[in-house]
Amino acid sequence: MDFSGGNLGVVAVNLIIWTGIFLWLLRLSRRVRTIEETEKEP
Amino acid sequence: MKTLFAWLLWLWISLVIVGAFYYAPQAEGFQDGSDRILFFHVPMAWASFAGFIAAAVWSVRYLMTRDLRHDRSAHVAIQLGLLFGVLATISGAIWARIEWGAYWNWDPRQTSILISLLFYGAYLALRGAVEDPEKRARLAASYAILGLVVTPFLYWIMPRLTFSLHPEPVVNAEGKPKMQSEILQVLLASGVGFTALFFWLHSVHTRIQALAERKSAEME
Repeated sequence: MDFSGGNLGVVAVNLIIWTGIFLWLLRLSRRVRTIEETEKEP
Repeated sequence: MKTLFAWLLWLWISLVIVGAFYYAPQAEGFQDGSDRILFFHVPMAWASFAGFIAAAVWSVRYLMTRDLRHDRSAHVAIQLGLLFGVLATISGAIWARIEWGAYWNWDPRQTSILISLLFYGAYLALRGAVEDPEKRARLAASYAILGLVVTPFLYWIMPRLTFSLHPEPVVNAEGKPKMQSEILQVLLASGVGFTALFFWLHSVHTRIQALAERKSAEME
């Protein structure tokens, strides 16, 4: 893998966007699980 | 376990992003850099196709069991299929602007994905027009099953029937991929990653829909 060249900025922006989407989805998934567990309790 | 799977997916797609720019070589016949869109455009179109087919399968299951959970799964699969389809169309239009000089050219592939998006947009309109949940589920399931014929025709058959400027599909007329192995590896890895992302989104969205339906039932 050759890391020279001018793509570093594009890769960094892509990784930041993907990580943002991922963390939002992870948080949403956890919140849904918490609500589901709360609703199960009598 | 689910969290571990999620972090593995994060790592997988991050590696795909790095691989798309640093591992895969420049594809022949493309302007410098425009081929990178391929690694995201093709998997998004694939995830959209998979979502529409999965929706048809869930619809068949609904009609067999009359279990509204299958109807919910089909509905969410079509919503997400539309989302991925729109993203594939936008990324394709950006690529077309670079390679062909215009965002929209009425190329057979552009036209067929547009028709498919309109077809599934009509599915959502149909659902919105029927109040009774059982009747809505029955009608929507019958419509989504039509997709088993419409979607493969629009994604696979129609673009191959006429002349197109679009690059050869991953699996070409000879039935085998014709591209450098590094490009194929990143493309397949991206396809796996986007499919997993699709089904993770599907799981979360379906559970949210179930909670919302339970809440609205309690309020009535």
